[in-house]
Amino acid sequence: MKARAYAAFTVNALQTRLTYRHTIWAGAFGDLVFIFARIAIWVSVYGAAGAASAANGVTLPEMITYSLLAGPLLYWDYSRLLADVGTAIRSGDVAVYLLKPLHYPAYLAASHLGHFLFELAASTVPVAVIILLVFGLQPPASLFHGLAFLAYWPLSFMILFTLATLLGLAAFWLMTVQSLDWFFNAIMTLLSGGMVPLWFFPGWLAAIAGHLPFAWISYYPAAVYLGKLEPGQTLLYFGIGLVWLAVLLASLAWLWSRARDRLIVQGG
Amino acid sequence: MLRTVILMRELVRMYIRTKVEYPGAMVLGWVSQFVSYGAVYTAIALIIARFGMLGGWTWSDMAMLLSVHLLTYSVGASFSFTQFREMEDLVRQGTMDAILVKPIGTWLYMVFSGFNIGYAGHVVLAVGLMAWAITQVDVAWSLPTVLFLVATLVSGAMVVCALMTMIGATALVWVRSRHLYSIFFGFWELARYPITIFPLPIQVLLLAVVPMGFISTVPVAVLLGKPVPLLGDFAGLACLLAGPVMAGLAMLHWRWCLRNYQGAGG
Repeated sequence: MKARAYAAFTVNALQTRLTYRHTIWAGAFGDLVFIFARIAIWVSVYGAAGAASAANGVTLPEMITYSLLAGPLLYWDYSRLLADVGTAIRSGDVAVYLLKPLHYPAYLAASHLGHFLFELAASTVPVAVIILLVFGLQPPASLFHGLAFLAYWPLSFMILFTLATLLGLAAFWLMTVQSLDWFFNAIMTLLSGGMVPLWFFPGWLAAIAGHLPFAWISYYPAAVYLGKLEPGQTLLYFGIGLVWLAVLLASLAWLWSRARDRLIVQGG
Repeated sequence: MLRTVILMRELVRMYIRTKVEYPGAMVLGWVSQFVSYGAVYTAIALIIARFGMLGGWTWSDMAMLLSVHLLTYSVGASFSFTQFREMEDLVRQGTMDAILVKPIGTWLYMVFSGFNIGYAGHVVLAVGLMAWAITQVDVAWSLPTVLFLVATLVSGAMVVCALMTMIGATALVWVRSRHLYSIFFGFWELARYPITIFPLPIQVLLLAVVPMGFISTVPVAVLLGKPVPLLGDFAGLACLLAGPVMAGLAMLHWRWCLRNYQGAGG
């Protein structure tokens, strides 16, 4: 199917969200309060005695920028995607997608890109502006790191999208996605670096987490932006991230081919 | 009165039976939520392990705070959250009209027909963490302190239930109100940490506007003898009053919304 048709799904999702725009402010306010809590934690621990040695050369302004990047920007709300897939499978709507000349996972990617763009414009950017005015934000460490971040960002989006879709497809077997959402949330909280960057982990845990795909969602893009990776390492870890993405996409393609064959619509 | 109690018991029993129909999904749900909260607490523990303290609170102080936060929330929410989150659908689809004419109080019916046993994982984690924290924190436990803890747990759960009810009731007038829960959970997240780490405007919000401070951070600060900004010595009494006061406000709001309910049109 044509790329234009998929672009239409993106626009469609964007427009659907615009229809309910009066509910945006509550979501943006929730995000803002959330990020304030994260920043307050760092302000508090950095204010205590002996913080400088514990912080390993990472400054408070860097941690504030990290909180924004690793939190709302990179770690977008994938539970909508999981819920969409879960509902489509439970209600049997997924059969309609199978009849259409489209690739369901690609359709999901297109439409959730629309949701992501909407949330970026309606919530993340306003929150970022407020954080900029209240606390200040760091620019990228260098032009190289800034450009590298722009490459890491779509990689992060695709890894998170692929992981969430893989989980969603598990509903073909388990018939429920809610518990998986919670389990995934637990893994993401610890291993993506969305809450605590890997450089504050004990060494052994950082070594493990640093090589699992979750770290490419929040930790690596934000660390690259702040210049915590040398140019050589930046390129190396980008390559490893691409390999992870390829592995995940291959798993998704395989799981999708299996899932299509065993579709059972509940009560259908 | 007796009739209402029997009805409530039957409603709860019916709901539990629908959940027990799928024992695998139910237990998986409990375990997954237990793991998810455990991960957040581990992340907080990692920060404290690195920096020593959070706002002057040690890990055992924080464990006490997190366990109280989770227990008041899960008890309060089991009476309210999933029930009132559906409220806007009930209003939009007209199902609310059928509930309104039932020969039982609307609030009672909604609360008990959906009494959520899904919070069992929360409660197990909260009680376990609290049992450990009680032995670790620097508090001279006596009958008054234990009674104070129990009373504030009840009061905190009432605050949660009252706020959830108020958001749900708003759907009767606005038709949509689910988005307001993201504000609730924003403040809920703040209530997980010592209130002194926040700037003054947020402290005011937590104590006076969306009084989530009283579900966890204020009562635990009082127990541990930590200073409470703005309230000072009045903090202990305020914890005990917060629940009943919020319940009263929620009742007034609920009645006002019911009086102004017009259906979603059509």
